[in-house]
Parts: sequence; C-alpha cells; structure tokens
Amino acid sequence: MNRVTAAPVKGRDFNSWIDKRLPVLFVAPVVGILLTLAIGPLLFIFITSFMSWELVSAAAPQFIWFRNYLNIVLDSRFWNAMKNTLILLVGGVGLQLVLGLITALLLNREFKLKRVVTSLFLIPITIAPVVVGFQWRVIYHESFGPLNYIIRMLRLGNGFAWLADTRTALFSILVAEVWQWTPFVTIVLLAGLQSISPRVYEAANVDGATPWQVFRRVTLPLLKPTIIIVALFRVMDVFKIFDLVFLLTGGGPGTASESVSLYTYINGFRYFSMGYATALAVIQLLIVTIICMNLVKMMKVRRA
Amino acid sequence: MKDQAVRSRKSWQLTLIYASIGVLLLISLFPVYWMFIGSVKQRGEFYTSPPVFVPKQLEWENFGRALERGGAKGIKDSLVVAGLSSLLAIVLGSLAAYSIARYGTGGDNLSFWILSIRMAPPVAGVIPIFMLMRYARLLDTYSALVLAYCLFNLPFAVWLIKGFFEDIPADMEGAALVDGFNRLQVFWRIALPLAVPALIVTGLFCFIFSWNEFLFALVLTRSRVTTLPVIISGMVGGHEIMWGEISALSVLTSLPVAALALLLQRYLVRGLTLGAMRG
Repeated sequence: MNRVTAAPVKGRDFNSWIDKRLPVLFVAPVVGILLTLAIGPLLFIFITSFMSWELVSAAAPQFIWFRNYLNIVLDSRFWNAMKNTLILLVGGVGLQLVLGLITALLLNREFKLKRVVTSLFLIPITIAPVVVGFQWRVIYHESFGPLNYIIRMLRLGNGFAWLADTRTALFSILVAEVWQWTPFVTIVLLAGLQSISPRVYEAANVDGATPWQVFRRVTLPLLKPTIIIVALFRVMDVFKIFDLVFLLTGGGPGTASESVSLYTYINGFRYFSMGYATALAVIQLLIVTIICMNLVKMMKVRRA
Repeated sequence: MKDQAVRSRKSWQLTLIYASIGVLLLISLFPVYWMFIGSVKQRGEFYTSPPVFVPKQLEWENFGRALERGGAKGIKDSLVVAGLSSLLAIVLGSLAAYSIARYGTGGDNLSFWILSIRMAPPVAGVIPIFMLMRYARLLDTYSALVLAYCLFNLPFAVWLIKGFFEDIPADMEGAALVDGFNRLQVFWRIALPLAVPALIVTGLFCFIFSWNEFLFALVLTRSRVTTLPVIISGMVGGHEIMWGEISALSVLTSLPVAALALLLQRYLVRGLTLGAMRG
C-alpha cells in the first residue's frame, strides 16, 4: 500500500525538483564549456604574458614580469602593425559606411526585381575570406590580372604590382575588405531605413522640404543608432583582420601590410614565442573589450 | 507643360538610380564572375594578356583535379566539422537560451559575458586553445575543431535563439504549467516545437561560420583533418599555383554557403548582428 502512494509523491518530488533546478541545469553545459574554453585560456594568456616562453628552446618558461609588455611598447614592428590595422579600420569602415549608405538609399524603393537584386548584392558576404583572398590575388595579378588590364585599356597607366608594392599592398587589402563587407552595411542600413515610418516623410513633404533636407534632417538622425551599431560591428571585425592579410600579402612586402592579428600569429606559430604572443593577445583583448562595451551599451539602448 | 517637365525629370532621375544600381552590382559581382570563369579556364588561359574574359571552351577537368588533390577530403572534413559543431551549438545553445529568455538566469551579466566571448579576437583564443589541445593530444582531430568552434558558435546560438524565444509569447507555457506540466515538459512539448524554425536558422548560420573559418583550422590541424579553407590556402602557397584547380575548389566552397545564405536572407540582418537588429 505504501508503495502505491509513494509513486505520485515521487513524481511530485521530481516535478518540484525540476521546476526549481531547470533554469540552472539548462545553462550549465554552455557555461561549463565556455568556462573551459574561454576563462581557462584567458587565465593562461594572462599569466603567460608575464613569462618568457620559447617553445623552440629547451629552457624552461621564466617569469619576467612586465618585460614582454615593455618590449612591445618599444617594438617598432608592433606599432607598424597597429598603424596598418588602424588604416584598414578607419579607411575600410569609413568606405563601407559611405558606400553601404548610398547602396541602401538606392535600394530603399520599390522596383522590379528588387528581391533578386538585393540577393545578388549579398553574395560577397557569404564567400569564405580565404576564397576572397585568392580571388583578389587573381584580380590583382601584375601581368595577367583583369585590374591592370582595365587600367592599361583606359590608358590610366601601366598598373601596379598591387600586392608586391609597399605603396599599394595595404590599400589592396582594404579594397578587398570593403568589397566583401559593404553589402553587410547595406542590408543593415536598409533594414534601418525600412523601419522609419512613411508618415515622417509625408510630414516632411507637406512642409515642403527638399530631398536633401529630408535626408539631412529626417533620415540621417533617425538612422544614426543603426549606423553606430553597424559601424561598431565592422570596427570590431576589421580590428581582428587576419584571413585576408594572410592570403593576399602574408603581411608583406616586408611588413608593409602586417596587421596586429597576423603579427601575433607570427610570434606564436612561426617564432613560437608564447610569452610575447600572449602579451600581444592581451593588449588586443583589452582594445576589443573597450569597443565591445560600447557596442553592448548601444544594444541595451536599442532594447530599452 | 510644367507637368511634363517634372515627369521627364523624374524619369531621368529614375534612370540614374537604375544605372547606379547596375554599376554597383557589376563591381560587386565581377570577382564572383571571375571565380566562376577561372574554374573552367584552361591552364594557358591564365597566362595571357589581355586576360580571357570569356573562355572559349569549358574545362570541367579543373573540378575533377581539385577533388583529387585533397578537395574531396576537404569537403568531407568541412562537412563533419561544421555539421557537428552546429548541431552541438543548437542543442546546448537552445537550452541555455530558453533558460535565459524565460527565467532570466544569470541576469544581464551572464548573457553579456557570453556575448563578449563571441566578440573576443580569435588570435587571442587560438594560442591557449592550441596549447590545450596539444596537452589533451587532440591536435589534428575533428574534436579539436568542433570544440574550438564552440567558442564562437555557442555564444552566437545562445544570443540568436534567446531573441527568438523572447519573440514567442509565454502565455501557452504559463497555461501548461497551471495544467500540471512541469517546466521540462513545457520546454520539450510546447516551447521547443515552436522554436524549430529558429533552431534551423541558427544552425545554418553556425554552419556557415564554421565552414568559412580559417585561423583555428590552420593552427589546430595538420594532415589528418583538412578543411576547405586550409586546403585552398595551402594550394595558394604552393610552388606552382594551380589557378584552375583552386578556382574550382573556391566555387565548391562558396556555392553551398551562398545557397544557404539565400535561404536565410530574411534573417541575415538579425543573424549577422547577433539579434541587435531585427531586420
């Protein structure tokens, strides 16, 4: 008799137990994995960044306090990589915003084939950065590439050895980056434009505003939060740029187009200086955290 | 008279707009076109000036040779790695997302901590994860990449699915609780079926990210596991560049992803901004 009554009690026990524990049980696997893969490594790079640790030498890792960081501050190659990354960041994101906004404004109207055209514009985003890098190598080829051919055909000059010339290498990476990611800016801004109520425009038209005035005084201010979000997303991505640089120039010629990510990779996996590489990683982590905090702030504002 | 002038100015403007769209589209698609014709060009056609804009005959052999020289294995490895890690991401991600969306587990701190992992520079993660996998003797295995990709797929999945759950009204779940369902049953029988489309969308995004990923694949694998981006990069770095074969492999790498992205177009803005923009 006891057992028969015990069963439902047990069931109720399970119900109340699962009701109480479910929220924590459900996040546990993700938190567990992320703790192992993110917090562990974070501690690792933080501690290693205070050590001299050369994988290729037999010497045991040594604690050297801030010497890695000091060396980074004095390392002209680091500052060069920083400068290159900033040029890509400001130039690349700037161009993407301008071109993206223009394209979004052009597409923000009804016309035949609009869906198809928008889809076609999106193709570059989907292509693997490695493939993009290879394709632009073909396009930039000094003797057989279509770009130099077009330049010669239009009699604009003899063209360049785009990727092998210190003056053009970084710029060439920038163009490929802008080519790939402008469509992302376009569709996000297009979504922003479409969320602006038509009534606002009607009101502006009734007041007799010129198209430019409408753009300056109505569209742009209303689009500003979207522009900031998309810009922050791009800034964060371009700051981490690696694949395109690796494929297009490998950072060369010399170090003319080396990005911070690539320089870190080279320190870690070509020179095997784990201490120095992790110190570089910590610095990048700090910078990205600052950008990320701003982005999060914007995302919270949007949600509220 | 005036009416006509206005109308002709309007049509002139419209022509200008269409022309601009056309030019931008041309620039945007030219490299894609170049990849396609590259994949069917004969060897000699890569070494001519002016370059060959329209190949005379289609050299499909490039695809066969690309598949032989590691392409087939690349496709298999990419499929396995991207498939498994996406699956893992949506299974575990949907649990966490549900908990955060419905019960506010961990508050803002937990969800933004998860987000910040997604934003961290990969190069900062790849060094310690390389060391971790080396000690665990997992270098050059599927597990290494599947686990490493959790680092960006899990946070992504949690954030995206969380947004979708927030969009689904909780009324039905509340009613079911009153009817005596426990929370697990409510999740399994009511919330999850409603979220299936969201899980598919999220899974496809994770698949694309993993399929295209390069840095981790480059560092964590050697020869037993070789994903497509690593193979392509290796072929580009070779002594003699096999333009046709690499182009063919590029097409094989890009086509599935482009097709998936078209399917996802409605969700593209939402996915690529981690739900910050609803699109």
